Amino acid sequence: MNHNLFGRGFSKYTPLLLLLPGFLLYVIIALGPSLATGVYSFTNATGIRGAPVEWVGFDNYREFLFQGAVSRDNIAATIRTLRFSFIVTTVQFVLGLFMAMLLNQKLRGKTLFRTLFFMPVILGVAIQGLMWQLFLLPRGGPVAQTLSWFGMRSEFLGGQPNEAFAWVIVVQIWANVGITMVIFLAGLQTIPDELYEAARIDGASGWGLFRNITWPLLTPSVNTNFLLNIIGSLQAWQLFLVLTGYKNGTQVLGYLVFAQGFGQTSGSVSSAFRQGFAAAASIVLFFLVLIIGMTAQYIVNRREKRIMG
Amino acid sequence: MSTITESNLKHTRSKGIARIDWVKVGSYLILLVFAAVYVGPLFMLVNTAFKTLPEFFRAPTALATGLNFQNFVDAWRLAKFPTYLVNSVIYTTVATFIYVVTTVFVAFPIARGYYKFGKYILLLYVIALFLPPALIPQFQLILNLGLYNTRIGYILLFLINPIGMIIIVNYIKTVPRELDESAAMDGCSYFRFILTIVLPLIKPAVATVTVLHAIGIWNELILPTIYLTNDALYPVTRGLIVFQGVYGSNWPALAAAVLILMIPMLILFMFLQRYIIAGLTEGAVKG
Repeated sequence: MNHNLFGRGFSKYTPLLLLLPGFLLYVIIALGPSLATGVYSFTNATGIRGAPVEWVGFDNYREFLFQGAVSRDNIAATIRTLRFSFIVTTVQFVLGLFMAMLLNQKLRGKTLFRTLFFMPVILGVAIQGLMWQLFLLPRGGPVAQTLSWFGMRSEFLGGQPNEAFAWVIVVQIWANVGITMVIFLAGLQTIPDELYEAARIDGASGWGLFRNITWPLLTPSVNTNFLLNIIGSLQAWQLFLVLTGYKNGTQVLGYLVFAQGFGQTSGSVSSAFRQGFAAAASIVLFFLVLIIGMTAQYIVNRREKRIMG
Repeated sequence: MSTITESNLKHTRSKGIARIDWVKVGSYLILLVFAAVYVGPLFMLVNTAFKTLPEFFRAPTALATGLNFQNFVDAWRLAKFPTYLVNSVIYTTVATFIYVVTTVFVAFPIARGYYKFGKYILLLYVIALFLPPALIPQFQLILNLGLYNTRIGYILLFLINPIGMIIIVNYIKTVPRELDESAAMDGCSYFRFILTIVLPLIKPAVATVTVLHAIGIWNELILPTIYLTNDALYPVTRGLIVFQGVYGSNWPALAAAVLILMIPMLILFMFLQRYIIAGLTEGAVKG
């Protein structure tokens, strides 16, 4: 029975009427603007109210991809985004799985550990960023001191671009590995103990148990984490805003969109409100996410078919 | 509860009582190393917040010599934290409330299949997860509506969240249809039916969505940076970053400010943890 049971005549339309506010809000604020990004990418829109907006065809894309020195930075940012995503996805995935397996044992205090590892997720980037700026204080901070015992030193976030970039990766993983961990943990808890016991009786142990039981039966959370990590890390950039600012040699695509569109000036890099160009850059990022996300989805589906039959 | 079977006893005996479980010891050691990476920044923050500025400059990592609460007083007074907190509370509660109520009213007819186009509406929410970011046109929209740098414009940005819609639709499908029939036969109006009967029944899903959505708004840093230039309208996240811009080298005051904003979050987190985790693992462990 799929009919609306409430009311006759005009009041039959009440559910529809009450559905409209939420749906219209969604179309106007989210869906419409999202689709309009493509349109804006062909214009020279600015962030100034009432300023004329002209159609410029593929100019923004041409500038992004093929305009010598200008494009070099954009392409470097694109490659850096891929590098960032690759490292973050890999490390966060492996580390999250490892932590989940540690916490899936009968251990005293495991809830406390889980809470601790998950904590940064709810603190948000502003607090995460400030905590790590303090922790990574170059002059006499805790990490600096620890490094000095080994005769090493680092300027951390204020140092060479590569160095700063590496530290942002560390913080990004620190902040988000908790999500990966709880998803794996939920998956591990669906695997019945009896399976492990039976396999142990058959003489399996350690690696064999993991390979033949844990890994295949964890497939749904493996897939979720794989996709979430890839897509999330391709779009992540907010920690750069808090930790390093818009600095040459550390920009990723998401930050480039924001800086071009909303005028961030910092150090040698300055930009105006170039929202048409920013829209084009966000379309480039969108295609990157789409292509990589779909490839990942394809791999995941094939693997699932192989395992689940 | 604890009936010790024979095989169990044998097992314990053969293992011996004093035998050390090295896997557990190893696990604990590794967990403690991980924990250090999480406790470390937290401890540094607390320690710094209780130091005086000269003390901090002399030796940033030395332990605070006493409980110096002056930094908290300074942070509270120097930044407009009371204003920022009120703003954050307004944005978070108003936007979350409107979002959840409107979402339930969209979700119910879709989940029940009242209208043929219901499934296409749901599809529109699902594809949103894969569409380009709305950032730029959204800004143009708010700007041209004259809502740039206003509370209403800022709240508008948070009235949508496709994932929450999907969670709630899926949950309503588990509510038995017989309820609709008996409610309708008793002459209950649709509006009252949703608010007084459906809403309590889908509380777990609503709680999860509410908590996730509210945390997202509370922690948002980018949108206030883009949309709010008047510091009387700042939420705490933006206020914190601005405070850092002004008192950047005064780490003791800055650390105190961070703690002031962090402690309520951590306390709430203790209570709401299961809803947050339920929301994040929803659908992740099923096929």
